[in-house]
Amino acid sequence: MKTPEYVTPTTLREALELLSGAGGGEAVVWAGGTGLGPLLRRGLASPAVLLGLEKVGELGGVQPADGGLRLGATVRLRDLQRSPVVAARVPALADAAGRVGNVRVRSLATLGGHLCHADPAQDLPPVLVALGARVCLVSLRGTRVLPLEEFFVGPLQTVLSPEELLTEVWVPGESASRNTVYARFAPRSPEDYPTVGVAVSVRLDPDGVCQEARVAVGGAGPTVLRITAAEQALVGGVLAGQRIRDAAREVEAAVDPWDDSRGSAEYKRAMARVWTERVLQKLADEV
Amino acid sequence: MSARTVELFVNGRRVQAPVEGAEFLAEFLRERLGLAGTKVGCGIGACGLCTVWMDGQVVSSCLVPAVVAAGRHVWTVEGLTDLAEGRVTDAPPGLPSPQLVQAVQRAFVQCEGLQCGICTPGQVWAVCALLSEEPRPSEERVREFLAGNLCRCTGYQGILRAVRQASEEWAPSEDP
Repeated sequence: MKTPEYVTPTTLREALELLSGAGGGEAVVWAGGTGLGPLLRRGLASPAVLLGLEKVGELGGVQPADGGLRLGATVRLRDLQRSPVVAARVPALADAAGRVGNVRVRSLATLGGHLCHADPAQDLPPVLVALGARVCLVSLRGTRVLPLEEFFVGPLQTVLSPEELLTEVWVPGESASRNTVYARFAPRSPEDYPTVGVAVSVRLDPDGVCQEARVAVGGAGPTVLRITAAEQALVGGVLAGQRIRDAAREVEAAVDPWDDSRGSAEYKRAMARVWTERVLQKLADEV
Repeated sequence: MSARTVELFVNGRRVQAPVEGAEFLAEFLRERLGLAGTKVGCGIGACGLCTVWMDGQVVSSCLVPAVVAAGRHVWTVEGLTDLAEGRVTDAPPGLPSPQLVQAVQRAFVQCEGLQCGICTPGQVWAVCALLSEEPRPSEERVREFLAGNLCRCTGYQGILRAVRQASEEWAPSEDP
């Protein structure tokens, strides 16, 4: 392959113009490269132009917004992990960001790159779906905002069109008032993608009765899965005993995993149930 | 074959070389510049053999295309001597101090923080970066930071002892 050209626009407008065809439509976004890099090394991708986003100031930064967070697409996972405002508002997100890969990967990888890579076993999609996050997609033709669960289409596939950029992620303020727990089951090595990752976000009333629940599972289907049947099983009662087991059974029934090096489909299904129970028990113990 | 030329700063010196195909920083350092201290293991950022310092942090040089590294400041194991002996002028921000580098080098030797040596260039830079950022890290922080710098000899206890000794020497605790 030819050596790609590395282009670093300084404004969002310039980046979108390059993506929309000024570069011959051959530009691929480089947003940290920890997902794309190995594909280039193996010759699975051979773009003529790498469009680096690191100098586009509008795409960076972590800001408090409406009680929640506005997260720029080029925020490094290590900065997400260490951000005081993230830790204060949604500690589960800071914690999950600190579990991706290793420090060298987290120092390069960005939030937007992580989401656009769309490996179904990634850590942040389940957490962000449980938090009710939305993503902002921008092209020269306009802007659209989607709930994150509608962003993913399949393994390494998203709704993003070639001329669109994911510019920011919004974590709503109400999620900061819920309790959110994420657990990842990575039996081979802690730096590996998890076999399954389970995130649950709940609002409990003073008596511990569940008023609202969001359940999302990674690694057990073509994309992160939001499991509404499990959410319905949780709402209306205290997180304990049979209610926890029922919700975990709903997760087990809803996931759609396949056999691979991280486990057989059957095993992942069982682990999705087991880890859902553990996450729910942890939420119950926190009350 | 259209060769592109990449210019960057390696161990404090401006260097320039042509690159071909999807050439990454790790291969650029080894094959274009002859700096073979940086090793290539997994090629996916998981093993830590190719760890180098780049613009204030440690990264896996197998994940950074040479064209993306253009203009940046990169330090490898070969640069440690100049750094330890204070021969570096115009050090980029965040580069570990000579005293820290000396403490880390000494600690790795004295604590047997290396066996076969293949992971050592990456381990040493990872420890320098960690202590530069956080002079007295907790045991948990050390393990979090060094996770993914694999030692095939499994000499982790010696490496952890070296981190503690270097930290003690470089940033002694006030209440022993």
